[in-house]
Amino acid sequence: MIIDVHAHAGPWFFAMDVGDPGLGETLMRRYGIDAAIVSASEAVTYDAVSGNRWFADVLDRWPADGPRLYGYVTVNPTDLRAAEADLERYLPGGRFLGVKIHTTYPAQGLGSTAMRDALRLVAAAGVPALVHTWGADVWALVDVLAAEPSLRLVAGHMGGPAWREGVAAAARCDRLYLEPCCSITDRGKVRFALDRVPTGQLLFGTDATLIDPAVSLGVVADAGLDARERELMLWRNAAELFGIAVPRP
Amino acid sequence: MDVLFGRIPSRHDVDASLPAVLRLLDAHGLDRALLGSLRGGLFDARTGNDELLATSDPRLVPVGTVDLRDALTAEPELDRLAGAGVRLLRLFCAEQGAEPDFPGLRHVAALAAERGMTVLTSGDVRRFWRPFAGRSASVCFLDVHAYHLADFVLLARDEPGFVASARLLNAPDSIERVVAEVGARHLAYGSGLPRSDVTPSALRFRLADLTPGEWDQVGHGTAEGWLT
Repeated sequence: MIIDVHAHAGPWFFAMDVGDPGLGETLMRRYGIDAAIVSASEAVTYDAVSGNRWFADVLDRWPADGPRLYGYVTVNPTDLRAAEADLERYLPGGRFLGVKIHTTYPAQGLGSTAMRDALRLVAAAGVPALVHTWGADVWALVDVLAAEPSLRLVAGHMGGPAWREGVAAAARCDRLYLEPCCSITDRGKVRFALDRVPTGQLLFGTDATLIDPAVSLGVVADAGLDARERELMLWRNAAELFGIAVPRP
Repeated sequence: MDVLFGRIPSRHDVDASLPAVLRLLDAHGLDRALLGSLRGGLFDARTGNDELLATSDPRLVPVGTVDLRDALTAEPELDRLAGAGVRLLRLFCAEQGAEPDFPGLRHVAALAAERGMTVLTSGDVRRFWRPFAGRSASVCFLDVHAYHLADFVLLARDEPGFVASARLLNAPDSIERVVAEVGARHLAYGSGLPRSDVTPSALRFRLADLTPGEWDQVGHGTAEGWLT
């Protein structure tokens, strides 16, 4: 079983034709991904409200016999009033399981006041948040988690090029989870994380449909996970963190 | 066509020695490799080339280097490499901090083109195309990312010798799109060993929606063309 906690739907501004949600379904079937938690590219890069609305419609139209699809409510830290309304609108339905927050497009760093306020809102909503992390400022999440004892955060990309800092930060707080997907596949970084952070804090994500799932699956394959690590990282940790029902053994 | 050996200063947890690299090539089913020297790129070109030329494994094709921070040494070193039968030149533009408008890089690009050597280079293709353009140069850009695909295609339309490594063309349709736009002869598979995990790029390439002929061209044909 595989649960992808970092997926997208919708078009991107690069030279790629990946906007059709049906491509997500195709890729999930091709690579054996059973469930994915998805944010809309429009919500992440441009307009959180319209993007969240679009993805809610995608969920409504998703084939009942398809792989399981869930949503992130994307929050723009610069517009918390809209974010609060979207959280109230979408979380009760059970198809949106958490919050996605990017830093680049809203131009709010992890240590910014707006980000702290946004994560306080997430804590109040009682769901985990997948936060885009891309540098040593991933450490700012440790400070936020110390201030918000109920909050659980996923460091998307594990700090990106500063993945060693992401690992060090997660080793300091058991409510900081690591999701290491990245199009740049520095050798051995997943094994580096597994050797330093409790396996219960590792999650699997792909960045699909922006990036082909072959990349993240390949990184996991090269990390040489044992059976227990594979079960925890590929799905069990995600199922427990996001409350996703899994078949009984 | 993108394999190195030696030591990685930022990764003392990674065994980048030649025996380790050879084991990884075997483990991942890579039959041959165009091999460059990390010592040559990161410390000393001449002794790096020496240790490269001392390798004798039939699976390996040597890729020499010169240091862009001291391009005065490039001409005799290129002649030495050519005398040893080396046809390929790896440039560590990004690692050596050589910008596209640096005179040293322009000089080396001209020397390589004059000698008919194929250049394999790191760096952002959107910037590093410039010193190689208009020379009928044979150049493989090792770091072409899916996000930069449009810029590479535009370049390749004008430069028949420009090639992208497939390693970072990792969106669901990147490899297929480059082949459809400019043809498989503008792509070559590179693993990025030992600095990168191999399976991500290998799996993406193995599952690429290409004809058998296109797949062979990317998998080995383009690189073989540099050696004939």
